[in-house]
Amino acid sequence: MMLFSLILAPLASAFLVALGPAAMARRTALAGTAVTFFAACAALYLFNWSAPGYQFEQSLPWLQQVGINLSVGVDSVAMMLIALTALLGPICVQSSKTAITDRVKTYYSWLLVLQAAMTGVFASRDLILFYICFEFTLAPMFVLISLYGSTNRRKAAIKFFLYTFTGSVIALAGFVYVAWFSSRLTPGIVNAADPSLLHEFPQLGKWTFDLATLEQAARLMSPAKQGWVLLALLAGFAVKVPLFPVHTWLPLAHTEAPTAGSVILAGVLLKLGTYAIYRFALPFCPVAIYEHAPLISVLCIVGILYGGLICWVQTDVKKLVAYSSVAHLGFCILGMMALNNTGISGSILYMINHGLSTGALFLLIGMIYERYHTRSMKELGGIAAKMPIWATFMVFFTMASVGLPGLNGFVSEFLCILGAFQASSAWGSPTATLPNGLPNAGLWGSAGAAHPGSTLGSLGPWFAAVAGIGMIVAAIYLLYMVGKVVWGPLVEPHGHDSHGGHGGHGESESHSVLPTDLCAREIGVLVPLAVLCVALGVYPKPALDALSGPVSDTVRVVQTARSNATIPADSVKEAAR
Amino acid sequence: MTTLTNILHAALTGSIGQHGEVAHAAAGAAPVQIAANGPWYAVLIPVFAIAAFLLCALCAAFKVKSKLPAWITVACLAASCGVSASVYAWVSSHGPAITYVFDWIHVVWGKDKGQSFVANFAFYLDTLTCLWMLFVTGLATLIALYASEYMSHDVGQGYNRFFAAFSLFVFSMACLVMADNFILLYLGWEGVGLCSYLLIGYFYKKPSAVAAAKKAFIVNRIGDLFLALGIMLCFVHFGTVEYKAVFAGVEEYIKHFEAGEFNKIPPVAQWIAYLLMGGAFGKSAQLPLYVWLPDAMEGPTPVSALIHAATMVTAGVFLIARTYPIFMISQYALHSVAWVGALTALLAATIGMAQFDIKRIMAYSTVSQLGYMFAGLGVMTSVGAAAHVFTHAFFKAMLFLSCGAVMHGFAGQLDLRKLSGVGSMPGWRIVGIAMLVGCLNLAGFPIITAGFWSKDAILGGAFANPHAQSIGWILLLTAGLTAYYTFRVYFRVFVGPQHFEPGDELHAHDDHGHDHAHAGHDHGHDGGHQSHSHDKAAASHDFHPHAPGWAINTVLAILAISAFVVILPLKLIPGELGWVGQMVEGSTARAVGHMEHAKFFGFDAHQAMMVVSSVVGLAGIAVAFVLHYAGRTSAATSRADALLPAFGPLANWAQHKWYVDEFYDFLIRKPLLVLAHLFHIIDQYLVDGLVDAAGYLPRAIGRLLRPSQSGELHGYALGMAGGVAALLLIVFLATTSW
Amino acid sequence: MIQVLQTLAQSGFPDRMHAATLSHFLLVSALMFVIGLIGFLTRRNLIIMFLCTELMFQAAGIALVAFGRYHLDFSGQTFVIFVLTVAAAEAAMALALVVLLFRRRESLNAEEWKELRG
Repeated sequence: MMLFSLILAPLASAFLVALGPAAMARRTALAGTAVTFFAACAALYLFNWSAPGYQFEQSLPWLQQVGINLSVGVDSVAMMLIALTALLGPICVQSSKTAITDRVKTYYSWLLVLQAAMTGVFASRDLILFYICFEFTLAPMFVLISLYGSTNRRKAAIKFFLYTFTGSVIALAGFVYVAWFSSRLTPGIVNAADPSLLHEFPQLGKWTFDLATLEQAARLMSPAKQGWVLLALLAGFAVKVPLFPVHTWLPLAHTEAPTAGSVILAGVLLKLGTYAIYRFALPFCPVAIYEHAPLISVLCIVGILYGGLICWVQTDVKKLVAYSSVAHLGFCILGMMALNNTGISGSILYMINHGLSTGALFLLIGMIYERYHTRSMKELGGIAAKMPIWATFMVFFTMASVGLPGLNGFVSEFLCILGAFQASSAWGSPTATLPNGLPNAGLWGSAGAAHPGSTLGSLGPWFAAVAGIGMIVAAIYLLYMVGKVVWGPLVEPHGHDSHGGHGGHGESESHSVLPTDLCAREIGVLVPLAVLCVALGVYPKPALDALSGPVSDTVRVVQTARSNATIPADSVKEAAR
Repeated sequence: MTTLTNILHAALTGSIGQHGEVAHAAAGAAPVQIAANGPWYAVLIPVFAIAAFLLCALCAAFKVKSKLPAWITVACLAASCGVSASVYAWVSSHGPAITYVFDWIHVVWGKDKGQSFVANFAFYLDTLTCLWMLFVTGLATLIALYASEYMSHDVGQGYNRFFAAFSLFVFSMACLVMADNFILLYLGWEGVGLCSYLLIGYFYKKPSAVAAAKKAFIVNRIGDLFLALGIMLCFVHFGTVEYKAVFAGVEEYIKHFEAGEFNKIPPVAQWIAYLLMGGAFGKSAQLPLYVWLPDAMEGPTPVSALIHAATMVTAGVFLIARTYPIFMISQYALHSVAWVGALTALLAATIGMAQFDIKRIMAYSTVSQLGYMFAGLGVMTSVGAAAHVFTHAFFKAMLFLSCGAVMHGFAGQLDLRKLSGVGSMPGWRIVGIAMLVGCLNLAGFPIITAGFWSKDAILGGAFANPHAQSIGWILLLTAGLTAYYTFRVYFRVFVGPQHFEPGDELHAHDDHGHDHAHAGHDHGHDGGHQSHSHDKAAASHDFHPHAPGWAINTVLAILAISAFVVILPLKLIPGELGWVGQMVEGSTARAVGHMEHAKFFGFDAHQAMMVVSSVVGLAGIAVAFVLHYAGRTSAATSRADALLPAFGPLANWAQHKWYVDEFYDFLIRKPLLVLAHLFHIIDQYLVDGLVDAAGYLPRAIGRLLRPSQSGELHGYALGMAGGVAALLLIVFLATTSW
Repeated sequence: MIQVLQTLAQSGFPDRMHAATLSHFLLVSALMFVIGLIGFLTRRNLIIMFLCTELMFQAAGIALVAFGRYHLDFSGQTFVIFVLTVAAAEAAMALALVVLLFRRRESLNAEEWKELRG
């Protein structure tokens, strides 16, 4: 019931907001998100972090003729992301207090619907339920961008909607194909693969969209079929992440979205893509993902460097941070493609950390925008002189985003790159031996050398080194931004007086009542994020421990499938050459 | 003072017995034994520092408008220093140990070696750690005291911020030095980088300061990338990032190293050193990554003294010293380090000779001296390198603080052509003496200065190493240049006719001139006022150079004394470079292996160098005396000006720092910026253009079909009739059997 | 031709019409339809065009009745009765619309209205 209540609580509050008076809309929404947040805290408390499997599982029959159920359940990965979603809820509501003064009921109810949908994505254990929730995040976001965004909001909203929707329809095709494949399995085929499988998953061979069953079924697909399924899934999820060539909706959507929209977008919506890749692409097509990991990683690395360099020449602060998401999520997927424990743990942690630090950066930019009604770096400068508290937070979250050790970004970024560094079969496996009985040497080492810290994989140090350049580029563009906006001589937009704006802000000519520096509400919004950034940077061990179970399972699945599917000595042959 | 006596006490009592054991062990390649039960109170060193940071941050939050943060910082750092001394006492009696604090990063996927990535907050306490922590915390305390006065014009504004970052720096440095694994070292490594960034950019309204801060951080990041990759390679090869286990893994290769069989050491293991080296070059401002350090002088002088002269920039030296075994098993790593160090030393010295900004001269001299330290490490005299770090920390901090006092008193004036005779002005005596002591040390004045002995050890080591003769010559040349440019500053600014022009920071000083401790002094403007030029008249009308107050003077006096006193532990205790030698020999930085000693023209290299380097140093001072003191009547000119044409464009190039910044700008920054713009265009028009094109496709098809919808009733009717006819025809054709 | 038409008009019962087969009716129906169609396509006057549609309508009615008779099934004729009723209502509507259109443009020319152009 826990997970359903986490989904239904925001949904119910959305109805309350919609039916209640406009004056109460924000407070109702705040109460709704707060209730959800406390429920999520309770779930975190009740969750057994040492157990690897799914918890809070529940299933309600829905369309049983085709095997669709409302089944939910979370492992520690999903639980953490749900907690992140629940945390960002009240923060988004609070941060919109002065920014959104028009059509508040519409705004807050869609915000709450969005939260319910996102929670549903992480909680669902049924592909169709997942897909419904996944797509249902689009509608609220579309409304938030197209009604409350800035000047170019229509185009941004439409592009966001159509782009991600087109992708995810293809992903749905992939899902359906896997379900169809599963429905056509005969007991003979299943038993040939693993006799105990049919006993464990009685739905094999029938129409079902149960995740656990389809995971098993998908692994019976030939590598070529897996490749096509992977392509379909990536078409949907890579757009959402976004990976390099399909990222262009993101800067536009981020720039045009209202602050809370950007926070949700960066904080959770992008994680839907990475989460879906972790949850579906890895276990569904392990062999294909192993084969194509270098290609995907190259896309990630291109994204890291290309996105990073583009950040550098932006003049719009928000666009800069938006492009930085392309670069950051590149690290995230790179770590996942390492297909080893360090990489995937880092990748999952990256999802949380990026949500915290980039979400906070968007909040900070929103606060500046509310005061100056501009985000152009040409019109802003040296804000530290005027808003020291804001500047402190800005520098802090920039450093978290740069990946400064001691803050959250470092742990995940380092693990991602380390994962890529380790994951090369060319290191030579410490356990495997060559046919002639000599220890496996590997490409990078010399005769007789074993590298205990290496793992099987197809990336390697060059991937890590080139991706590592992204760390330098990140420093360049983020410090460029900080140097322009926070430091330097004070520059304010023309005609700005410090007691609120004259500039038009969309339709609402809001004469803000904001003080020069941040007010208590704004500080209160930022402090929880800052505290978490420090906590996850200084003591990430609980999170990493909790992740080790599910991550080890995933790694085992991928590595087993790979060793079954390929000739084990292929890398050895290459190395011995 | 208590801290210093603590150090000496511990040095004289505790470590001699230790030394005997170490000398015994050094013969073979015995592993460095390390216990797991270090003293718990070692954790207090960083804890005091971070406490100071938090308290200063609280001060900032509550907008404290007094010197409270300074006193908090001084007190906490003094406490850290005390703890360091007691940790040293513990280590010298119990031997090296690890103090575990708490788990940090744990990724575990198996029980075997290499199947877990473990980095804890734990401290590796050996004598090398203690050596560094003692001078870091000691100097930090003194410089914080100095800064309490130096920064007083910012009380209530940046004062809190300054001391918060200052304390955070000491915390990061403690993590860097005391780390028991590479990841914690990396934390400290980047942490000091952050503090350096914040403190260089302290005067954030100055665009040049912001640019310098950014440059420092980014150039350091380049080095950090190499360090990170080195750590990863280390993890892949050794399956761990903890020093203890890594060194245990290296032991096996050390045997091959001693036998000279590098081909038996896996290339991967040898590569680790090259990558770590990159990190060290970045942090310690070596070729080709030295460019950030001179610009870093935009920060307040105490920062330059502590971070960019004494402590942070020696982190690279520390890294190599700490991981010396890894460097030894790499065939060319130490040679590379030596060459890079030597070339950096020479290059920076040539630039330093041609600069006019005294703080920049000191900055280049820091780069140059760091080059010495690297060369020392490279020629296998880690003891000499560490000793040079140690002595350099004191005298260079003092030099910077003296320059800072001048800058503070003369409204930001740093041009040696606009200041003269400062040392003889009333109230400036201590500064003058401190400067003299510092310059003597830096120039390597024979016998009585500590700087002489440590530099001599490196020179001797270079000439004693049969593979490093040319490095020795480069360093010897550099020693002469160093003596020259050091005393160029001294002879022009601190002695000679009294003259000054105030800098352009008058406004910053006006508001606090009244309550200052120097109120009762005679300001010595008798020499200064008459020479003020007209354009400066308005600004300098009521300008009084204020001599430093008690805090600055006390600190300078302590440092001046200690710059001499450090000779005692160097020379009074037996062994090469005495106490420091023992500290290094008792740690992982011990150079092992036997190497035949090269001769210097038939003499023992070390003994010959004592004479040769003395002569070279004195010659440099003499040249400076002739060119910049003898017969000089004004501040702006000296005899050296007459010599400049003889050098042709070289002097000009050196003054422009050999155009290295411009070269980098042209070679790296500009192309990257162009690439970024190109990518931006590609992204807008190609990548996004394709997306838009895909979105445009349905619309294009619609546009194609648009004319068919004419809006005319007859058109539709005709179309419908035609359609029906066509349908009928099809049906007819299909149903008719031919 | 006139004779045939007279016969058709006077003869009350089908058995007297053994000469006129189904194809005759269909021919008539088709001719009427084509006349209506040509009229609709060539004329521009809205009322004429409307009448032409009625002509086509009735042509379809004739075919229905003829088939109904041919199959000895009354539903065809029943249907035609309904169609006639609807056509009457439709005629009223259409003429009202035509009047409205006329009032707007003071013309009955169909080319005056092109609002639906894409």
